[in-house]
Amino acid sequence: MVLERVKIVRFINLNLRCERMDMVTSSLLVMCGFAVLTSFAALLSRDNFYSALYMSITLLVIAGIYALYNVQPVFILIAFIFVGAVGAVTVALAATYRQIGPQLNLDYAWAIPTAITILVLGFSIYAYVNYDIIYTFNDRIVANFISDYIVLVLFFISLSILLMMSVVKFIRREAT
Amino acid sequence: MIAAVLVASAVILLVGYLMAMSSKDLVRLLISLELMFGAVFLALFPLFSIPELTAIALGIAVLTIFTSGGELMILIASFVVLDKQTRSMSTDNITAGGDEV
Repeated sequence: MVLERVKIVRFINLNLRCERMDMVTSSLLVMCGFAVLTSFAALLSRDNFYSALYMSITLLVIAGIYALYNVQPVFILIAFIFVGAVGAVTVALAATYRQIGPQLNLDYAWAIPTAITILVLGFSIYAYVNYDIIYTFNDRIVANFISDYIVLVLFFISLSILLMMSVVKFIRREAT
Repeated sequence: MIAAVLVASAVILLVGYLMAMSSKDLVRLLISLELMFGAVFLALFPLFSIPELTAIALGIAVLTIFTSGGELMILIASFVVLDKQTRSMSTDNITAGGDEV
């Protein structure tokens, strides 16, 4: 039995074109939805610690989307450097300063225009962006990137070391 | 399908903005900034599906991750110093001027 990829569904007077999704596309949609849900959980949580945990989950799911399409270098950079280093420090900081007050840290005066902006932006993107994701990433691109941008990579590593050294010096100067 | 990724990215970015505007302490402000950077990483994803731009997309992703990571580390260090000086993480200690809704 051969399953048809495109199916026309009749709804009121419209003929809607429904495309059967493969496993990767379905997983992408589920992961996008999960990332949005955990970001809302980070917003609505009263406790800073749980808010930081939900934020880490959001970033890990975003990294997972890259892993789903086999863009492993970006997955490693987000998961290990961004969530592993900065996210872990944020969670530790949030565990120390759990909450300022018992009330929810959400300003409803800003929530209404934000919700309207989300609706308008979401609808316009969904209505006008109709491109499929074409998988093109492979190992050769990483090799080319490293050979072409070796100076850039070295520059970033030295920049990070210099940044950390100046932070340590700054904190030690303030401590004395 | 790119639309779904971009919509999710826009929603996470605006949730980050809302969190930053509503935050009463600096830790929550830091969390909102990280959410915004997460939205930027998600918005970069469609670039990887254009064959001519894949190497450039990887370069932009590396640049974004390194600079945002460095920026957040500096911010965390400044929070530690602020806590040493004022014994508080409330945004009231550092806000100056501005307008109210």
